[in-house]
Amino acid sequence: MAARKKHSAMVPRKKHYRPAGKKKEGNAARYITRSQAIKQLQVTLGFFRRLSILKGIFPREPKKKFKGNNHTYYHVKDVAFLQHEPLLDKFRDIRAYQKKIKKAEAKKNADLATLLRTREPTYKLDKLVRERYPKFVDALRDLDDCLTMVHLFAALPAVERAKIDVELIHNCRRLSHEWQAYVCRTYKLRKVFISVKGIYYQAEIEGQKITWLTPHAMQQVLPDDVNFSVMLTFLEFYETLLGFVNFRLYHSLNVKYPPILDPKLEALASDLYALSRYIVSNTRTSTLEPKAASSSTSEQLEAKEKEMQGDESELRLAQLQHQLPSNEPGALMHLMEGAECENEDDQDTKECKRLFKNMKFFLSREVPRESLLFVIPAFGGVVSWDGEAAPYKEADQSISHQIVDRPTQGHKYLSREYVQPQWIYDCINARIILPTEAYLVGRIPPPHLSPFVDNDAEGYIPDYAETIKRLQAAARNEVLPMPGVGKEDLDDPQNLLVEGYISRAEANEAAQTKKKMVTLEKQYHEELQSELQGAVMKKSKQGSAELAKTSEEPVPDPKQIAEDIDTMSKLGMSRKKRGLLEAIEKGKERNTARISKLKERKKKLKSSEN
Amino acid sequence: MRLLMVNIFVFRRKIYDEYNDEEVELTKEETKLVRRLLKGKTPHADFDPYAPYVDWFKWEDAKHPLSNAPEPKSRFIPSKSEAKKVLGLVRAIRKGFIKFDKPKEEPRFYMLWGDDASSSEKTGHLSYIPAPKPNMPGHEESYNPSLEYIPTQEEINSYQLMDEEDRPKFIPKRFTSLRSIPAYENAVKDSFERCLDLYLCPRVRKKRINIDPESLKPKLPSRKDLRPYPATCYLEYRGHKGAVMSISTEASGQWIASGSSDGTVRLWEVETCRCIKVWEFGEVVQYVAWNPLPELPILAVTVGQDVFLLNSGLGNEEIQRKVKELLHVETPTAPEDSGNKVSGWSWCQDDEHEGIRLRHFKSVYSVEWHRKGDYFSTVMPAGDSKAILIHQLSKKFTQRHPFKLHGLPVSAVFHPTRSIFFVSTKKNVRVYDLLKQKLIKKLETGLREVSSISIHPAGDNIIVGSRDGKLCWFDMDLSSKPYKVLKCHPKDINNVAFHRSYPLFASCSDDCTAYVFHGTVYSDLNQNPLIVPLEILRGHASSDGRGVLDCKFHPRQPWLFTAGADSLIKLYCH
Repeated sequence: MAARKKHSAMVPRKKHYRPAGKKKEGNAARYITRSQAIKQLQVTLGFFRRLSILKGIFPREPKKKFKGNNHTYYHVKDVAFLQHEPLLDKFRDIRAYQKKIKKAEAKKNADLATLLRTREPTYKLDKLVRERYPKFVDALRDLDDCLTMVHLFAALPAVERAKIDVELIHNCRRLSHEWQAYVCRTYKLRKVFISVKGIYYQAEIEGQKITWLTPHAMQQVLPDDVNFSVMLTFLEFYETLLGFVNFRLYHSLNVKYPPILDPKLEALASDLYALSRYIVSNTRTSTLEPKAASSSTSEQLEAKEKEMQGDESELRLAQLQHQLPSNEPGALMHLMEGAECENEDDQDTKECKRLFKNMKFFLSREVPRESLLFVIPAFGGVVSWDGEAAPYKEADQSISHQIVDRPTQGHKYLSREYVQPQWIYDCINARIILPTEAYLVGRIPPPHLSPFVDNDAEGYIPDYAETIKRLQAAARNEVLPMPGVGKEDLDDPQNLLVEGYISRAEANEAAQTKKKMVTLEKQYHEELQSELQGAVMKKSKQGSAELAKTSEEPVPDPKQIAEDIDTMSKLGMSRKKRGLLEAIEKGKERNTARISKLKERKKKLKSSEN
Repeated sequence: MRLLMVNIFVFRRKIYDEYNDEEVELTKEETKLVRRLLKGKTPHADFDPYAPYVDWFKWEDAKHPLSNAPEPKSRFIPSKSEAKKVLGLVRAIRKGFIKFDKPKEEPRFYMLWGDDASSSEKTGHLSYIPAPKPNMPGHEESYNPSLEYIPTQEEINSYQLMDEEDRPKFIPKRFTSLRSIPAYENAVKDSFERCLDLYLCPRVRKKRINIDPESLKPKLPSRKDLRPYPATCYLEYRGHKGAVMSISTEASGQWIASGSSDGTVRLWEVETCRCIKVWEFGEVVQYVAWNPLPELPILAVTVGQDVFLLNSGLGNEEIQRKVKELLHVETPTAPEDSGNKVSGWSWCQDDEHEGIRLRHFKSVYSVEWHRKGDYFSTVMPAGDSKAILIHQLSKKFTQRHPFKLHGLPVSAVFHPTRSIFFVSTKKNVRVYDLLKQKLIKKLETGLREVSSISIHPAGDNIIVGSRDGKLCWFDMDLSSKPYKVLKCHPKDINNVAFHRSYPLFASCSDDCTAYVFHGTVYSDLNQNPLIVPLEILRGHASSDGRGVLDCKFHPRQPWLFTAGADSLIKLYCH
């Protein structure tokens, strides 16, 4: 037997013929198609889909598609991973249990059916969350889709036929508000963009940029060609994930999760505000606990800290009532903590925190309240709105800006500016306070630009982006405004400064381009001359009586030469590299075509204006 | 009953008695009785159904029990079935199936990532590939984009004509205020599509290639180091009336001959551009070839079915005498045997042009001389088995190429140093040993249609030009497949040529350009030939869709002659 084995080992293995019963090799052994996987798992397609969504299993691309192109391939290990999932058994149990209920109902045994219903088996997804995201950062990295979906469902109506029930939507609303409250409270919001599709937000948490889209607060349409069961499966996982993420985030703030909200505010549907109040109050209570230990620390430090925080906290107090308990005895601990926090904050967060400092906003009825209530406090502003439970009323004299989105404003307070909501978003993206002239009530605001575009990489910079750039540069050079000076007084010198800067920058640019042109021209002339001389010299060297002298030989076009060199260098490349190069060139060409189209349109617009 | 009641009231308590067939009138008492019955009460009003119970059995005075049976045993034994039930319950309680206090509500969320440090355990399964994030919105997706981002109505209309795949999915719109933005109709759909992408699309980890396109280009030696090479046009030879089909340089490099479609062959002095001599044939001159020996200035010219061997009239008297002697055919027609007669080639004297006229049976495409100047080969593409003939000038003798051709022959060339013969058909190049009379090698070009072939002066490398614009370099020692394929011309390559002494080669094509390459062949067999494109020569104009028809190098100088369809011959010098 042993000898035989040895002998068989000596025989070289045949690669291309696999006898029946022998193991498969290569891609055929490593991958299986979806239908094979379903067969192996002994589940229905719907089950499989649900399980793979929850587990985050996706098809993979084998190098060789052994069953053809129109199959979906899963890795064998992935399928085995599904097979060992306890949830699979759980789903089977649930299914069996559902059959029991059905049977009881069919036999008109209503008592049994209700009894069974009370004891239905349930399942949890927390293990899956942990398994898919072993670290918190992983979860944050993958949070984009989760947030977008939860925010979308928070805006959807409850529809029975699509099995979207009210509780689900309320849960989504709650989760999204919790998330927003955290982002707002910790000043982590970085960019906001109003697009036709909705409002994009970008926050930066633990170094991860998290972008999500919230739909506009309108009645959403539910299309018929959408399989809601797939979306609901995703949502089921996302809800769990976001819940755990929120828990962790709230935990880092020392706030209990899930938060218990003020029922009055909740009833008024101003959840976000209620939440922020909750967070604030909770952080206070939690930080107040160890105050006894700190009683021995010196009074001097305390006073100093108080002075530092005084200005800011007074304003915030008006809205949040008790953010910084600087008046309370022994609050040093908290202050120290706050200071530490600020030290930990990166430059960006500090900048964001300061953006709307010393500004007081009031929202009119017609502006998108939810978004602005989220955005303004996230950049250090104080905001109120027209409605019950608002922190302050419209008549408050200390309001500096009122956000209005109507053709005309009837009654105006002279002490405040009436601006359109886009001003807030543009300020946030530019990280400076923009002049309000262009955004005043009734005017068509300047274009709203995407903060996600790298203008230089794009190759085309819209006019307004350049204006903002100049304003930013001007603001950087600007001496920081005195805290006591009113906003109105500040605006004018700033504008003047900006205008001065703009004109100076333009002049500089013009001078530079001129210089460049001159040098280029000079160079060109020199080259021409040298070429002519060289040609003449060579001709004279030839020194023979030429009958048909090629006197009209065209001066070699530099463009042609460049092109020739390009084609020649392409000649020696391998086919693969040439293909790659051509693809790159094609991409570049497409980009330039797009840019030239934009420029052309701009030119047309200008000419039509003139 | 209801009917009865109706009867009672309607017919004044009259009832038809079916049994006795008579009408009975109810008395007042009787109706009362019926009513009480209907209400479910006792018929008589004075009957009390809830009268207190009076036991009629008097126990006090009784001496004996009613039953004298003894108490059954079962009354004293605990119930078995009950014990079973209790046992079951006890077990259930013990095993925890029955719980008395309500289960505690566990908090739904807890600290899942409490200790990130310890959670770095390796998972056994495959690596997780995170889904690519959706694209960030650009300026055009803004609710209020700059005006230049908004397409005009014509552009929007033109989108309809586009293929559905190319059609832009998003058309920018502009709203002048925030309140006028409507709900986005595809919000749910977009989200759903993203879901589908997430769980249905195969994910592959791909390296994002961010290569500088310049780095893709091969590092080639600088062109300056590879000088001299022909770069600019210095001379033009004018005089032909039609496209110049072919040119040939004389061995000394002083003269060139050109054949044109206007039926003339012209002899030019290279330096002066002067046309020395013109032969008129009246038919398109396909090909001209100088005898490679400098002491035999004989020109072979193919015109239709004829090959003329012409005395160029150059050289001193000694040479002229020798040439005249060679170009003399004693017997005007030389059909030596019947076989030749059938095939129909004949050597005869041609007095008009002072040379030999070698008549073939099909039109001759090209003539190539052997290096010793005695033999030359002709190619007749339509000649079937006799398509390639080898002629001997000194003996005025012709012989057939003894091998079967697989395909239409294109050209036939002698090896520059050894007795090897290259025959190229449209697909392949076959290499024969003429001494041993056998096939040595078959070179597979992989081209669609070979148009020309040229041998490196060392003989180990050949280049092949094709009608699909490709140039193949074969290293005979390396492989029968091309060492390098250069796709240089967008149109047909008409001719390729090696320089005799400089490491240069050239190709000319119908796209009116000629490429000059540097091609060094190293004596070290391990080193591959170095091929560097040097220059694209332009200057010829296209006529009838044809560009540069022929190119030949000067035998001594790094100069290139090109013959164009625009009836010009150009000389490119370094």
